[in-house]
Amino acid sequence: MSDKPSFRVGEDLTGPVRCITPERIEWYDSAMLSAATNELRRVGSNIHTDAEYAKGQGFSAANADGMIMTNWCSAMLLRAFGIDYLERGELRTKYIKPTNVGVELHVKGRIKDATRQPNGNTVYTIDVWCEDEQGTKLVDGDAKVEVARG
Amino acid sequence: MLGGYISDLEKGDVFKPVEYVLTPFMCSEYAHGTEETSEYFHSARNPAGRQIRPPTMIHVDKMRILEENCSKEKRVAGMAGPDARIHYEYHAKHHSPAYVGEKVIVTGHIVDKYVKRGREYLWYHLEVRTSDGRPVTTYDDLTVLRYKPTGVP
Repeated sequence: MSDKPSFRVGEDLTGPVRCITPERIEWYDSAMLSAATNELRRVGSNIHTDAEYAKGQGFSAANADGMIMTNWCSAMLLRAFGIDYLERGELRTKYIKPTNVGVELHVKGRIKDATRQPNGNTVYTIDVWCEDEQGTKLVDGDAKVEVARG
Repeated sequence: MLGGYISDLEKGDVFKPVEYVLTPFMCSEYAHGTEETSEYFHSARNPAGRQIRPPTMIHVDKMRILEENCSKEKRVAGMAGPDARIHYEYHAKHHSPAYVGEKVIVTGHIVDKYVKRGREYLWYHLEVRTSDGRPVTTYDDLTVLRYKPTGVP
């Protein structure tokens, strides 16, 4: 019996439910700088970390770097598809509304299509999105993963 | 135009490539910053047997190549431009994992630059390969150069 992931069209994927906090925003921005320089760095003032600066740039408040939500979507896909996602995955996310500090973010996915390939692999197409606690979509996207035959 | 602010980039500009060797720290620290606990990114004790770079680290490559090509605006070095840029769309395709210890080369160009509903957008295309030519990631990115619409001070 194959241990490869198998999903039905219409099946839901469940990602993390997390509150957008100033700490999480700083973790991402600092980690991004650290990864870019290969040394521990700490982010300074920007639209994600400084509410006054964000307001000066036209936002209502400090807001999360979109890559935080992209990474949480990516985590959901990794949990669902494992190494196949890392080897033959694709993820697209659009940040359709600012995600402000204090939002409770729900990361979700749904299998839209599953197509068997001539080589026996299966390509899954997945709707991916993030919404707040009221169900308002803040990030929209889609993904594809080619799962190798088991 | 290369060598200025990010907002000076134009359609057709080809970036000077950047290359670097992936370290355990880069992969683990990036994953840590996103609360990603998968062992794939933190050590070699995973089914792949080697520590893998998170695929979303393409965002770091974007920062690296902008840092190299836009000398008046270096976010990594703390040099801000006149307006904050807003990431609007991320689109990464994974061709193979990149592993700790491998040298990767990042290339890219500006696909388009246009105004929509009063806001100026910049479309980047980046490619990441290992130094022996194995494709790792292709990436398209749409960025808004200024959140306030044109004409709003």
